Amino acid sequence: MKLRAKFKKDGDLRYISHLDLMRTIERAMRRAQIKFSLSKGFNPHPLISFGPALSMGATTHGDYFDVVIEGEIEPERFKRDLNKTLPNGLEIVDCYIVDDKDLLSNKVKEAEYTVDVYLMSHVIDLPDEIKRFLGRDEIFIEKESKSGSKIIDLKNYILDLKMIEAKGSKVTLYVKLKISEGSPGPIYVVKALDDFLGHVFDMEKILVDRRNLILN
Amino acid sequence: MSDLKNKIDDLLMKVNKPARYTGGEINSVIKDVDKVKIRFAFAFPDVYEVGMSHLGLKILYSLMNERDDTYCERVFAPWVDMESLMRERDIPLFSLETKTPLNMFDVIGFTLQYELSYTNILNMLDLSKIPIRSKDRKGYPLIIAGGPCAVNPAPLSDVVDLFVIGDGEEIINEILDLVISCKKDNVPKEELLRRASKIQGVYVPSLYVETYNDDNTIKSIKPIEDGIPAVIKRRIVKDLDKTYHPDKQIVPFINIVHDRIVLEVFRGCTRGCRFCQAGMIYRPVRERSKETLIELADKLIKSTGYEEISLTSLSTCDYSQIESLVYDLIEKYKEIGTGVALPSTRIDAFSVNLLNEIQKVRKTGLTLAPEAGTQRLRDVINKGVTEEDLVNSTKEAFKAGWKSVKLYFMLGLPTETMEDVKGISDLAHLVADVYKDVNGTTRGLKITVSTSTFVPKPFTPFQWYPQDDMESIINKQNYLKELLRGKIFSYNWHEPNMSFLEAVISKGDRKVGQAIIKAWESGCKFDGWDEQFKFDKWMAAFESIGVDPKFYAYKKRDFDEVFPWDIVDVGVKKDYLKRECKKAIEGRLTGDCRLYCTGCGIKDLDEGVVCFET
Repeated sequence: MKLRAKFKKDGDLRYISHLDLMRTIERAMRRAQIKFSLSKGFNPHPLISFGPALSMGATTHGDYFDVVIEGEIEPERFKRDLNKTLPNGLEIVDCYIVDDKDLLSNKVKEAEYTVDVYLMSHVIDLPDEIKRFLGRDEIFIEKESKSGSKIIDLKNYILDLKMIEAKGSKVTLYVKLKISEGSPGPIYVVKALDDFLGHVFDMEKILVDRRNLILN
Repeated sequence: MSDLKNKIDDLLMKVNKPARYTGGEINSVIKDVDKVKIRFAFAFPDVYEVGMSHLGLKILYSLMNERDDTYCERVFAPWVDMESLMRERDIPLFSLETKTPLNMFDVIGFTLQYELSYTNILNMLDLSKIPIRSKDRKGYPLIIAGGPCAVNPAPLSDVVDLFVIGDGEEIINEILDLVISCKKDNVPKEELLRRASKIQGVYVPSLYVETYNDDNTIKSIKPIEDGIPAVIKRRIVKDLDKTYHPDKQIVPFINIVHDRIVLEVFRGCTRGCRFCQAGMIYRPVRERSKETLIELADKLIKSTGYEEISLTSLSTCDYSQIESLVYDLIEKYKEIGTGVALPSTRIDAFSVNLLNEIQKVRKTGLTLAPEAGTQRLRDVINKGVTEEDLVNSTKEAFKAGWKSVKLYFMLGLPTETMEDVKGISDLAHLVADVYKDVNGTTRGLKITVSTSTFVPKPFTPFQWYPQDDMESIINKQNYLKELLRGKIFSYNWHEPNMSFLEAVISKGDRKVGQAIIKAWESGCKFDGWDEQFKFDKWMAAFESIGVDPKFYAYKKRDFDEVFPWDIVDVGVKKDYLKRECKKAIEGRLTGDCRLYCTGCGIKDLDEGVVCFET
């Protein structure tokens, strides 16, 4: 059977990579004595698949992974047992059975983020500036990937961008992005906005939280 | 604490591998610091990934934390990126568990695994705002050190308050009890150290003086007052089966060097290789029973969830019930995908059937260590393996589908000639021929040859021998680079100047200790890391204190010379080492002491010491 688990990852665990996260969950499942299916081959590993990787330093409150289980297990029980063996900072918040053919990678369409940024200089009307930023016909940026960097148009990916709170120099932004092969993360949006505003954010101090992955 | 935690948090996005500095791993221990009587910082003088792979840390961390009155936390050397930010923002070195500055601990215990990590000890003290010399440390934490390199405590004598010689788990509770009672009664450090010096296995360097002859050799190492032991007897665990082994191990978030469960099957080694310090200073062989090991394995697998369990010792295939242990473990855990690893494989004891079984769960590499290229030289070092062993075992392995093999050798062994160096390449080519015999071609084959440089170590039969000079080592390396051309071979070698420094420090006296301090003052740290190693600064440091490093590495020693480490009695007698040294030159072998007693003298170390019984 195949389970889909929704999880959150915050606190110090934001400093671990996607690969570290996968290993941590695999080991937690073993500690919980959950019988997961193993891949064939030289180095068997559990049949787990994750949604889009989260960048180092970001937290999440709505990511997912799928895992193939040997035999049967109640989703509630999976959640309860696994939560007992996960380290502080990782928690399963929801779990349900999905069809074996249901692929997480086909399901993830959009992602919502909040991003905390710190202003280094005052911006007169940030919400208004954001509207002007989004009002442009195209927003070209250079996106880096393993195979080199590439120019893409951010406009194709931004579904929503607004300021939701300002407290002193700390500003919280809401960003909603389209997820597809090679789509950019929210940091690119913040960077492009910062360029547009003439460098007002402290780019060394940004906190990204993926509030939710939206599945269709 | 929270203030420091916030300051640390501000740095973490700017450094490599921030999870090195966060703690919070499964099985790490969180205690209420107000409810313990003593706070102990286990300090490993290298990065997190190296330190977390170390078995001694796992044992002592769990053992100390089993005591309600003690809280043991961990600290590692911050990598240079983190260190420079910490210095820039005036952040002291802190423990992983509670983010407490190190100078607030009662005891800081360093483990000495490698001579080239000594400058990191100084750097870690300095980052903790603790003076590096023990004489300047009134009112500061007690600095203790143990581990294999502590068998020659001389080079760190000005830095460390107290050395532990031998198995730490055997002695640590006595030290903790003493520190707790002294803390309660406000006993000053000097008196605490005097009392500690009476515990067997403790060396307090400030209570001894080292004097020299005109030729710079040691005249004597003597206690400065009555009632202090003249020789420090090593402490050993007598019955390993009844001795503490942790049933939980911390599971790091990031990949560490040995990212697996470590299960120690026995301690010591019976082989008697003449270059091997561990083989001498961990005698005698003490085994855990198979039942104990299986029980421990079960608890460890359940408490960690690891995908691999490594059966550790100096020569694991020598374990008396190795086959049935491995089969039982594989059978029991293959369903959950947890495999077994044998890290230290000798080519003679090496059982291909065993490795075949292991491979069914998880693919392991094939690593063999002939150590020397010719039979003559292998006889000199008492590595009792033959070319035939190598041919037989690689043939079986290739038949079973292995395609790559790693071969380890040493360069610069006593009596080595260019013929022996060529022998290294000959063996590698021989293995390639074996592969061709099995598969009809060399396609797909990968042979990795690694050479390290022989370092003469204290308490080995080669302790009187000089190290080969750097120029000669470089020639030999270049010769091998020529001989090992072609796609199927790859050749790795050690930096000869690092091995030179390792020899100087491992055979060093208190004067070498002054050079270590000087080198650190001029910016040396992480000396075991190629990209950080600053050989010129080290040589300048020796020059500025007027000490010739070549004296320590290259001098052929007389049998009656006093060594800086003669203050320590590891159990193996000097007469035995001399005998072995002479036999080496004659190329005469000494048998495995499981077959008959070779008379090393270890049984006389202490009452109740029992050797391996056949």
